[in-house]
Amino acid sequence: MTARSETGTRSAGASRPIDWKRFGLMFLSRYGTIVGLLLMIAIFSAMAPNIFFSRANLLNILSAASLTAIVASGLTYTLVVGEFDLSVGYVTSFIGLIVVGLMSYQGLPIWLSILCALAIGTGLGLINGTLVTKVRINAVISTLGLGTMLTGIGFSYSAFPIAAGIPRAFTSISLGRVLFGIPNPVFFMIGVLVILWVILNKTDIGQKMQAVGGNIEAARLSGIRVDRIKMFAFATAGFCAALTGTLLSSLLGSGTLGAGDGYLLDAFAAVFLGSATLREGEFHILGTLVGVLILAVGFNGLAIVGAPTHFQPIFKGGILILAVGMSTLARRYAASN
Amino acid sequence: MQAPDALLQIRGLTKSFAGELALRDADLDIIRGEVHGLVGANGAGKSTLIRCLAGVTLADSGRITINGEELRQGSPQASEQAGLAFIHQELNLVPRFTALQNMLLGAPKAKRFGLIDWKRSSVRARAAADRIGIRFPLETRVSELSVAERWLVMIGKALTREASMIAMDEPTASLSGPESEQLFSIIRDLSSDGVSILYVSHRLEEVLDLCDRITVLRDGRIVDEAKRGSLDKKGLVRAIIGHDIRRPEDRQHFSADRSGTPILSVRDVAWREAVKGVSLDVFPGEVLALGGLVGAGRTELAHLIAGVRQPDAGHFELGGKTFAPAGEAEAVGQGVALVPEERRSQGLMLQQSVAYNINISSLAGLRTIPGLPFLSAGKARRQAERLVKELSIKTPGIARKIATLSGGNQQKALIARWLASGCRLIILDEPSRGVDVGAREEIHDAIRSLARAGVGILVISSDVEELAILADRVIVMREGRVSGELTGPDITEARIIELSYHDAHGPKGESA
Repeated sequence: MTARSETGTRSAGASRPIDWKRFGLMFLSRYGTIVGLLLMIAIFSAMAPNIFFSRANLLNILSAASLTAIVASGLTYTLVVGEFDLSVGYVTSFIGLIVVGLMSYQGLPIWLSILCALAIGTGLGLINGTLVTKVRINAVISTLGLGTMLTGIGFSYSAFPIAAGIPRAFTSISLGRVLFGIPNPVFFMIGVLVILWVILNKTDIGQKMQAVGGNIEAARLSGIRVDRIKMFAFATAGFCAALTGTLLSSLLGSGTLGAGDGYLLDAFAAVFLGSATLREGEFHILGTLVGVLILAVGFNGLAIVGAPTHFQPIFKGGILILAVGMSTLARRYAASN
Repeated sequence: MQAPDALLQIRGLTKSFAGELALRDADLDIIRGEVHGLVGANGAGKSTLIRCLAGVTLADSGRITINGEELRQGSPQASEQAGLAFIHQELNLVPRFTALQNMLLGAPKAKRFGLIDWKRSSVRARAAADRIGIRFPLETRVSELSVAERWLVMIGKALTREASMIAMDEPTASLSGPESEQLFSIIRDLSSDGVSILYVSHRLEEVLDLCDRITVLRDGRIVDEAKRGSLDKKGLVRAIIGHDIRRPEDRQHFSADRSGTPILSVRDVAWREAVKGVSLDVFPGEVLALGGLVGAGRTELAHLIAGVRQPDAGHFELGGKTFAPAGEAEAVGQGVALVPEERRSQGLMLQQSVAYNINISSLAGLRTIPGLPFLSAGKARRQAERLVKELSIKTPGIARKIATLSGGNQQKALIARWLASGCRLIILDEPSRGVDVGAREEIHDAIRSLARAGVGILVISSDVEELAILADRVIVMREGRVSGELTGPDITEARIIELSYHDAHGPKGESA
């Protein structure tokens, strides 16, 4: 056998001319989203300086971003372990209905209603996890199937929006501003992001999640209980969707069937945009936050500069395709590296 | 140099994978109508050569000409159009299709009103079937055919395309005696009709008996080319391993104590067709090696021990207690670890750092406060740094991506993972495959440091020389059974190879 450099790819000499295509790919796959976000902020600020870049509007953006960020960071966990969850939007809607129903129909106290709602959401995540890991049904099918069923179950629970009998204390959860005049959902978002970031990066289970998503065979042979790790990820996604559903109903002051369905696409777009942020094609919490902000700034800016409403779905769908494309590109760059 | 009637000429074919030369400067002629044997140890370059011919792998340099015309390399279509056909062990057939459909798969078919005219399309296929004596109806689904019949379908498929050379990879591996005889007579008929056969096999008797000429590959080089009758089995074995028997005093001896309780006992373990009743013991601090050919059932046995699969019969004991892991995690939990053959695809998290890959199986010991799930970055760093130093893993830093390390250092990182986890038995499947000699030595040192720590070690290797250097004791497997055991000075490459091809009490007068 021949002698070879022990560190493999280190042999690239300093004298070699810069490979601009490679550099461009690297830059795009790491910082493209952040540059895009800053550009969007700059353009909208220039177009509507006094309206877009005002404290009130920036808080508005953050507030709108916070619910999406909570669903999306839960969804991030399922993608970290190499699965995904198409039910998060439906779970958000379903729990949004259930949580006010428990107060209004069943007359439960607020705290107990919320506790039940979060438990049901987590349980739904566990069902998804079981279907995927134990019954071995492909995640697309099982989560879409469960989500669709939830729509029907929600309808049978209450065919009409529930608006009566909701205590003011409940609506003040989302509508209130406890500190510095910042809307409460922003604090929920920060809390969830911090906790999920710590779990993913600083605990055993987070390391194991990354191993399962990185190389499931290797993870198995490393003694990791792959199924349990995936269950945890699905349960987290379910919990986050339930929390979003609760906050959404509090914000709307009612429980409306289908109110949260739209979070599915937003969350997916955000998570994929995030995977093309800072790290090459890896799903991570900070990236997801950047993805959510891109969406929120985009929606808000388009509305402010007076783009017609039909532009919104075009923007949303386009961003989703762009996000997945960039994520794929980033991964390909990482693989070639 | 040039054979007068050469159908296929290979000149200076060279191919490397990740810096390792798999094939170097290979020259080979295949004469029209000859049966040409291709032999060599595992990893000698046979598959690479075949894959280059098939257009599946693109060689780094070298030329291939067929009938004097240069073959466009790297294109399976070009190889097929040039008249080359390949029959791999897995037999690429569509089970739900009939024999006829499979034989015509991908071939241009006669059309009538834009639809396939099966009758006209199948004329040639039926002629091919007659030629090789296919007796079952061609309308039979392949899923209902025996392995031998599937081979006939594959040969028929090659003939339907008027292949001028058919490469066969281990054709008799899953055939019975009479089925093999039938195949040989078909091969002889084809050969007298002018079709060349490239016959790849570990079964040396067959090769000696059947082939007009034999090419021996070793370490990617063609080391011998012999006409029928100029080589006997002993000479062929010597050409395959490259030198005469290594003297016992070259070997480093270890003194494992085999008087106590074994760490692992395997008792009459069987699994499907691959493992047929194996019993063995591994003692603490011992390096036990499993020798044998690819397909002897060694990897399957390793998977059974590591909980990847569960045995059909028999049982394991770990330190004297029953050990029946339901999965990998349970095996690891009880201190049994597997370092798989496919290092990159089954061992490493390539996107992650060296430290991450070392620490992933010992996270519980790296917590800030025992009982709480939070990891201590300091403990993780110190453990990784200690092991990198201990096993002299060459890396610019523990935060480096493991993918940037050489194969040998990646393997050492995997060994470090299990050293950190404090496991009791570690199984290494082909630990030094694809690494250079220097790295191999370092991997061996790492394995020895595991053994010194009292870990029981089971090494699977097809590299006979490696077994002879590394092992305390060698158990050779053949076709799912233990064919013999070697200890101390008996561990020689020749004895291992001999046992790989015959049982210890095998046919008389066959010992090399």
